[in-house]
Amino acid sequence: MTAFRPLILQALQGLARDRTVAVMATLFVVLVLISAWLGWSATTTVNAIYADAAKFLAESGQPVPPNPVMETSPLALFRNLSIYVSLIGALSAIVTGFRLVATDRRAGVLPLIGSRPLDPWTYAASRLVSLALAMAALIALAAAVSVVTFLILPGLLVTGSDWLRLTLFFVLAWGFVMLFGLIALGATATARSEAAGVLTPVSVWLAVTFILPALTGNIHPTAAINPVSALAAAPDTAFFHVMGSLFGPLSVAESFKFLSADLLRFLPDGIVSRGTLPPLPALLLALAAAFAFALRGLSRLDLTKGDFDA
Amino acid sequence: MHSPILTIARKDTVDATRDRFLQTVTAFLVLAVVVSIVAGAIALASDVATYVAARDQLLALGKPASAIAAPEFYPLKLLRGAIEQIEIMGAVIALLAGYRAAAAERGRQTLALILTRPLRHWQFLAAKLLGGIGLAALSLLAVFAVATLLLAVLAGVGLSGNDLARVAITWAVASVYVAGFYTLSFGLCLWARQPANGLLFGFAIWLLVVLIAPQIGDTLDPDNQVAGGVFAQLSVPKAEQDRIKAGYAGYEALRNGIEVASVTKHFERFSFAVLGIKDTYTGLPLATVLIEKRGDALWILLFTLGLCGLVLLRPISPDRLTKE
Repeated sequence: MTAFRPLILQALQGLARDRTVAVMATLFVVLVLISAWLGWSATTTVNAIYADAAKFLAESGQPVPPNPVMETSPLALFRNLSIYVSLIGALSAIVTGFRLVATDRRAGVLPLIGSRPLDPWTYAASRLVSLALAMAALIALAAAVSVVTFLILPGLLVTGSDWLRLTLFFVLAWGFVMLFGLIALGATATARSEAAGVLTPVSVWLAVTFILPALTGNIHPTAAINPVSALAAAPDTAFFHVMGSLFGPLSVAESFKFLSADLLRFLPDGIVSRGTLPPLPALLLALAAAFAFALRGLSRLDLTKGDFDA
Repeated sequence: MHSPILTIARKDTVDATRDRFLQTVTAFLVLAVVVSIVAGAIALASDVATYVAARDQLLALGKPASAIAAPEFYPLKLLRGAIEQIEIMGAVIALLAGYRAAAAERGRQTLALILTRPLRHWQFLAAKLLGGIGLAALSLLAVFAVATLLLAVLAGVGLSGNDLARVAITWAVASVYVAGFYTLSFGLCLWARQPANGLLFGFAIWLLVVLIAPQIGDTLDPDNQVAGGVFAQLSVPKAEQDRIKAGYAGYEALRNGIEVASVTKHFERFSFAVLGIKDTYTGLPLATVLIEKRGDALWILLFTLGLCGLVLLRPISPDRLTKE
């Protein structure tokens, strides 16, 4: 295993030099920063609207309902994070997974690595660990930005339980982005063309983000990228019950959004997850399947050649 | 003698159909559109069933059925999900097609070969754009044809000539919209040191323009902060809603500004108005809608024409003739 560490270092150094990875990672971190402002700004505006509406209702002698956002946790300010992780976080993972293998294949590094006394499993393990470390770094950076904005934003009372939930959310986010990074690793290792290496994980991501939610709960694509609308209950019909049972466990983006909303305390009352399998086991199963796919693809990679056919 | 532009464009069309790329991506988009329409129709049927049950209950209690609003059925409204799939996935597919158009010439070293012919750079670029945009329009034609047939089946009545005209106009504007993303990707993949880098940068731009900008605008909408809408939950009448909203003109201007920075939002606003998906446009004459929404259509046209102009004006670098 002496080649293991140099292989990881080579992969991580390659990622650090990669401008595309840098662009995606920067975009992700900037959006994490924006998400806190978005949540704070929108909540402040709703509070102000409530004050105006309450004044009108009181003057016209009507009952004043409770402020719908007053009882929400400060964690809910980060509700947009769940969407940005599922969009840019997942795409960053796809780009990272793709580059980890594509660069070696395209640049002719693979035969060079293959000339060393190591087995394919060592190479496969090095790419898997590199992806895990790169994604952990990305999520840790996002977490650090979130913590700083939490401390800066005025009027927020954050408890120990909130910090624990926020930490668990970032662990969940890491698992979710790893899912797509692993699919990209496996797809790029087995793809005959470079385009297929990108196309396969992107197609899977598109399907789970925009097609499956429509099938399981009539969630339109623009609703799927709104943290609140994405959690709407499915219409109460036999069709959606059957589709939810069949495709709910595969609809991992919905599972992730459900768990995120639960952790960040903005899950609307009465909303239940779709499908017979709870969202966490569904995500873990998907992660295990993606891990097996990546491991199989990487371990079968021919270290004597490796370049794409097209 | 054939125009070299038409010859290259025709060759690209034949290539795309021969290796099944066109059929595969069209099938993917058709699947997404069919899922959206069928799911929407079933959800609507559920609303109708709920209404019928509530109405029967009212009538049984001796109360008038007019106490509850009957759900209205406009077949074209079922295209909402389909339009959203096209604005997201149609753009992705266009990016991939643009990548293929550039990478194929560079990877097979045919770009250098073509440029040895008596052909101006702009002619080659125009041919590639023409071929790709034609294929995008063809692919979307198939998608809209399937969607229209499905609507006719689900509605149980044929669509009127007016409905078909609305669908045709939406198809034309959708073709211009996806052509913009094809052009963007083609240019990036032609100029980038590696075509794959161009595609990844294209994805980053797509993410910002198609998903992030509209998403920020959408989530800043106070009515989207609370399930069911904040005004609905507070039971505030419409007139009072407008008065309260007027107090947040600056906030609303910022929110709207972020949204309209995205060409996707212009496409959505135009098609939702033409198809009557947005309630305020439902039932309005087509001419009235077109006059009101010409600004959105112009925005989309200028977006695509601007990108085409950039690609045509930038000369092909000899350093980028091959894959590496």
